[in-house]
Amino acid sequence: MTYLDKMMPGQRGTVVGFTDDSPVTRRLLELGFVPGRSINYLRNAPLRDPMEVQVGPSCLSLRRAEAALVAVEPED
Amino acid sequence: MGRAATARTYSATRPYRVAICGNPNSGKTTIFNAITGLNQKVANYPGVTVEKVTGRFSVGKENPQQFTLLDVPGTYSLAAFTPDEYIAISALSGGPGGQQMPDAIICIIDATNLERGLYLLFQILEIGRPVVVALNMIDLAQRRGIQIDFEKLSRAIGGFPVVPVVGNRGQGIERLKQETAKLIATPPDISLNRFYDDATENVLTELQSYFDQAHRTRAEYLRIIFDVNGPAEAKFVREEGHEARNMLERGRTAIRKVWSPLSAAETTALTRRAAEVFNSTVIIDHFSQRMLSDKVDRYLLHRLLGPLVLLLTMVLMFQFIFSWAQPFMEMIDVMFTGLAGWVATLMPEGPMQSLITDGVIGGVGSVLAFIPQIAILFIFIAILEDSGYMSRAAFLVDRMFRWCGLSGKSFIPMLSSFACAVPGIMATRTIEDRNLRFITIMVAPLMTCSARLPVYAIMIAAFVPYKSYFGVLNLQGIVLALLYLLGLVVAAVVSFVMSRTIFRAERDTFLMEIPSYKLPTVKSVLIKVLNRVKSFVVRAGTIILAITIIIWALSYYPRSRAVEVEFARQETTLQARYDSARMVAQAKLAELERNLPEDEVNLSGAVSDALAQIEDEVVLPELKVQLLADYPAHEELVETLSGLRLLQIRREASLRELDNKRAGQHLRSSYFGRLGRAVEPAFLPLGWDWKIAMATLASFPAREVIIATLGTIYNLGADAKSVSLVNKMRQVKWENGPKTGKPVFTLAVALSIMVFFAICCQCGATVVTIKQETASWYYAVFAFGYMTALAYLLALVVYQLFAGIGF
Repeated sequence: MTYLDKMMPGQRGTVVGFTDDSPVTRRLLELGFVPGRSINYLRNAPLRDPMEVQVGPSCLSLRRAEAALVAVEPED
Repeated sequence: MGRAATARTYSATRPYRVAICGNPNSGKTTIFNAITGLNQKVANYPGVTVEKVTGRFSVGKENPQQFTLLDVPGTYSLAAFTPDEYIAISALSGGPGGQQMPDAIICIIDATNLERGLYLLFQILEIGRPVVVALNMIDLAQRRGIQIDFEKLSRAIGGFPVVPVVGNRGQGIERLKQETAKLIATPPDISLNRFYDDATENVLTELQSYFDQAHRTRAEYLRIIFDVNGPAEAKFVREEGHEARNMLERGRTAIRKVWSPLSAAETTALTRRAAEVFNSTVIIDHFSQRMLSDKVDRYLLHRLLGPLVLLLTMVLMFQFIFSWAQPFMEMIDVMFTGLAGWVATLMPEGPMQSLITDGVIGGVGSVLAFIPQIAILFIFIAILEDSGYMSRAAFLVDRMFRWCGLSGKSFIPMLSSFACAVPGIMATRTIEDRNLRFITIMVAPLMTCSARLPVYAIMIAAFVPYKSYFGVLNLQGIVLALLYLLGLVVAAVVSFVMSRTIFRAERDTFLMEIPSYKLPTVKSVLIKVLNRVKSFVVRAGTIILAITIIIWALSYYPRSRAVEVEFARQETTLQARYDSARMVAQAKLAELERNLPEDEVNLSGAVSDALAQIEDEVVLPELKVQLLADYPAHEELVETLSGLRLLQIRREASLRELDNKRAGQHLRSSYFGRLGRAVEPAFLPLGWDWKIAMATLASFPAREVIIATLGTIYNLGADAKSVSLVNKMRQVKWENGPKTGKPVFTLAVALSIMVFFAICCQCGATVVTIKQETASWYYAVFAFGYMTALAYLLALVVYQLFAGIGF
């Protein structure tokens, strides 16, 4: 298991859980980062931050600080 | 939930109330526009700065039933931790006391993103009003192989209607209206599955039965329970007292025994329910197909290509804005100058005429002159927004903006501010975080807007030498570029400081959707542009007009009688002198004409017609030489006629000069003139004399006014050509003080004026817009204050530096 900000662009994985219970976590849940859901780390912005992640049908942008809250089981 | 919807009785006059809500990017605004057309009204929600748009529509040909439609701000969830977020649930529950309870709610769901839409829908169903679900972008979903069973979906949400629509093509809109009308006329008997766990349900039931009188909806109680320290809890405790807080805490403790953290009780239930319904109604495989948008983004979000395309887009956009707006702005200027001139002929000279022509017509003209740029800018922004590119632009620049305390979301406002700070400040509405939004508002006016250009142009032309380096770089161009850079650097420093002091962003995130690319529709773009232009004219326009009239009054009064009498006397003397000279010449002409041969009687008329074409004293001799060559036999006649024409030209020029002198004399002795002299000591360290100080004060409504004011002060008239103003400025000498006799305008003074105008907030429209957008005069005054102080300081440093080294 790792965290979303530690993954590589192009990598896929499954959401496992969150590291805290802040309003940010809540917003992540609402946007589709639900445990069990598979995600696809698409790309980074030019300065490596923020990053774009596909969750279900939608593409979301989030900063590395926010991605660090998401625990992910990467696919091989 | 039992009977969720019950029929209510209405007076015949009141239209039914319908609220429309949905996720951001679900196409809510497009559908809202498609339903209401131009029947829209824009206001603000009380106490917050979120725009409240309402519209009207009707259903049925004969005896049409009237409806009002309320646009609820787009949201992913009803959870609310800030006043702005609280608007959604509050508006859907009918506002304070529930008097504005909607008769039905239209919930827009992006069909390509159904699961997330369902999350919000299940929260909305708890409000207990009839709901119509509009599945938007159904065409796109079908093309992506997403098959939705509408019947099954309708059953899963308690039998409420589900209408497939394509908002940007207007498909399904008529049916959406009819289903809404039908639902209100005959509300179905609805029973929904309860999907919250027992602990939550128990607390809900307990609170609901104990505070029975308040008629709060289940949705509101959910907010009270789950949004710890949020606005719903605050309002509840305020209304029900301290005992209610204890009861609420006991309930939360009970839920926490089952759930940790507390909010998991709600999010888990909603996510689970949404997934359940989603899985039973839809079949798709997301990752198997690469979307078109993703392919395009490989280039547009590429680490090198992406920023390059963005830069190019910006450059092209401003190229178009400036070149397209120019002819319209000139047209408006010509129209209003013409109108003022025409009105002046209808009214007797005096304060009333001056108020109407210079104050009112001039003021309206200066407000309307903004519109071409604002409208064209908004067309571009609306297209970029509707196509989905704006979220990508924000994505590209976020990291860079964060270095100075801003965010990618500040990009559009800052970009717009290069044309005009007013639309820039209005564009900050998309920034959710309050502190981030306020910082952006505070620094947006520092961008070099188009109103600064005339000031820079004249100062640079007059005092910066035209020197070239390496063949391509020019000193004048370099100074202009440095002034643009100055605005950017000051904005970066100010936002850096503010973000670490007065406006600390509390939960600044960059969580947002990057929507798939869509083709913008003409209708949606035009409605957006129209609404924004309208709100600019109504909000900023009226106040700018008022300020312009005040400034007019200060520079018109007191009207010195002595000055009037003196100038009237001078005018009479002047007229008399020219009249006597003319009479002599005309007597001679009559004599010569009498002696003309029969076949040449028309000669005199032809010559004077040719002379009448000449307006300038300098070119007159050239024509005379030519006429003498044409009519060698009539040398004396040509001489006399030329002399007459010269007299006429000189007479007009002298009268104009006298008028300009009179205007200058009045301005210098007006309240403004006195004010300028009074504040001169404060501006001496900047190298300014009282005339510059006064012109700066008078340009409070808009920076470019300084040019017209300087023209009037230097007796050149308000519409002085820039060449003559430049020449005049080079000649002006100090009239008193230690520098008497030395030129007022030096390079150091010109630089200090330009630096002051680069940083100051001399723009009434901006100040008023800041007041409107922050809902407080405090921030407007604060912005004006800090910018003026900073402008003064930097102008001081620049002047002392350059004057010190001898410029």
